[in-house]
Amino acid sequence: MDALTTTALTKRYGHRELPIQRLARRLGRQPSGDVLALDDLSISVTEGEIFGFLGPNGAGKSTMIRLLLGYLHPTAGSATVLGRDIVRDSVEIRRRVGYLPGGIALYDSLTGERLLDYLGELTGRPPTRRAELLDRLEMSARTMRRPVRDYSRGMRQKMGIIQALQHDPELAILDEPTEGLDPLMQRAFYGILDDLREAGRTIFFSSHVLSEVERVCDRVAIVRRGRLVALEDVARLLERRKRNVELRVADGDLPRLEGVPGVSAIARTADGRLTCQLEGDVGPFLAALAGHSIVDLTIEPAHLEEAFLELYEDTEPDDGEPATAAASAGETGEAGEAVA
Amino acid sequence: MSWTFFKHLWRSQRAKLLIVSVAIFGWSTFLPVIYQSFGSQMKALIDSGVIPKQFTSFGGGDVFSLGGSIALGYIHPISIILVSIFAIGLTTSAVAGERQRGTLEVVLARPLSRRTLYATLFVGVLLFIGIVLAAAIAGTVVGSAASGLLGELAAERLPLLWLNGLLMWGAIAAIGLAASVSFDRLGPAIGVTVAIVVVSYFLEILGSLWPDAQGLQPYSLFHYLAAREVLAGTTDVAGLALLAGVALAAIGWALVEFPRRDLAAPS
Repeated sequence: MDALTTTALTKRYGHRELPIQRLARRLGRQPSGDVLALDDLSISVTEGEIFGFLGPNGAGKSTMIRLLLGYLHPTAGSATVLGRDIVRDSVEIRRRVGYLPGGIALYDSLTGERLLDYLGELTGRPPTRRAELLDRLEMSARTMRRPVRDYSRGMRQKMGIIQALQHDPELAILDEPTEGLDPLMQRAFYGILDDLREAGRTIFFSSHVLSEVERVCDRVAIVRRGRLVALEDVARLLERRKRNVELRVADGDLPRLEGVPGVSAIARTADGRLTCQLEGDVGPFLAALAGHSIVDLTIEPAHLEEAFLELYEDTEPDDGEPATAAASAGETGEAGEAVA
Repeated sequence: MSWTFFKHLWRSQRAKLLIVSVAIFGWSTFLPVIYQSFGSQMKALIDSGVIPKQFTSFGGGDVFSLGGSIALGYIHPISIILVSIFAIGLTTSAVAGERQRGTLEVVLARPLSRRTLYATLFVGVLLFIGIVLAAAIAGTVVGSAASGLLGELAAERLPLLWLNGLLMWGAIAAIGLAASVSFDRLGPAIGVTVAIVVVSYFLEILGSLWPDAQGLQPYSLFHYLAAREVLAGTTDVAGLALLAGVALAAIGWALVEFPRRDLAAPS
């Protein structure tokens, strides 16, 4: 079952104009100043998966999250969260969802403990995971008795994570969750996500730290200027990536790789090295090396960062117009081809 | 109404509420004492013609009668500032201020509708104003008793005086909350509310000091805070209804506007 589905979800920010301003703009033939923040976005997130939602600043990530939680109203399209409509059932959705806003602000005058109690009471569900989260994120009882104003940025972020997850929500929507966390705490947080996944919880994870998305997410959607440019399994996305290969042979007898499936950009150097790019199955490539005395072979692992940059490069000429076939991949929740 | 949110509001305001209540109690105690001590001398001074007659009344209050001195206490800038701490300060910061700070994000991520949030805030603010006004009336009673003027005080009309104050400040609080839910930043919300209150106050005071400007007084909310008339038993019911109407209009605006608005990410 889908934990979250959006269908052609669109959000246009329009600033309100007084009639005199509207008239002046029309007389001056100026554009309205409206911004299309999310354009025809269709995705679905399956229950129990960790779904990464990627894009640079201003791509529409926060707009999407704010639509899902009822802070914004869609201009067109629809969406459901845990089977409930985001417009009609916003309150019920928020009862079952945990949300960590990006750059969270907290009530500074309250102690950590009092703050979690207050937010837990507002949620109306018992904070069943709080003790475990406090322990794993190393927030001691003494720290929790101090006012939030005394907390460092990292401690505030940990409080943000705890308040979002303490009531064991069915779906957690986390916006840049590791911002401000040190590497040890990031690792602890990844462990928490793994446990949530094992417990069947769904995580909607917005980030621009691609290495962490690659580490924790099952699938990713990549948005650019409010439009979906890719929606795919992380593993499959990486599989399709071209990896850089460098090899050196003992006797200068470089193998012939032309025509080998998946191999491209072959280059030979005077010092007996060969570089190329490898895509997909490595079997044919390794078979082509058989019989050659290989001294050194390096195949760089594929990273999401390169896939992300490649997708952006592919779509960069587009300046506000829809990417071709955007809808085809965007309209399904299945792992599909990158769009553009 | 959210009880949890209300408890949070109460806890965050109770110290301020105590201080304001004590301050307005002290101020209200002081006015009957002034009337008792200086009222006759001031009247003699006015009667001598040294001070022009039009300066004998300030916004419907004076120091020549107990009712006038109580009315003066209500319209005096000191009590206006004290009650405004809740009627303007709290209302404008409750939504627009929290939006600007980003704390409204974590509250609205909970199963709390915007209308429930608004209703809880309004009930809370009304309660705080009610407590402050009750402290003012208590101060009036104590001051009158201390000055030996309890016999002059129409005690049976004090609840109506409290209601009059509550309606007037409730209307201003409703305007403040309506502004608060309409803006993303505190500055414009405070600006609009303070502008309405200052203009309104100016019209009432101007009309009370300058006979030619009396026609402007009905356009002021403060004109309908008629403590002297209430204590004299000549309450203007239409004025009370008008205050209730202004409050209802502002509440209606907020209840329509707040749920309809887009709340973009705080910058």
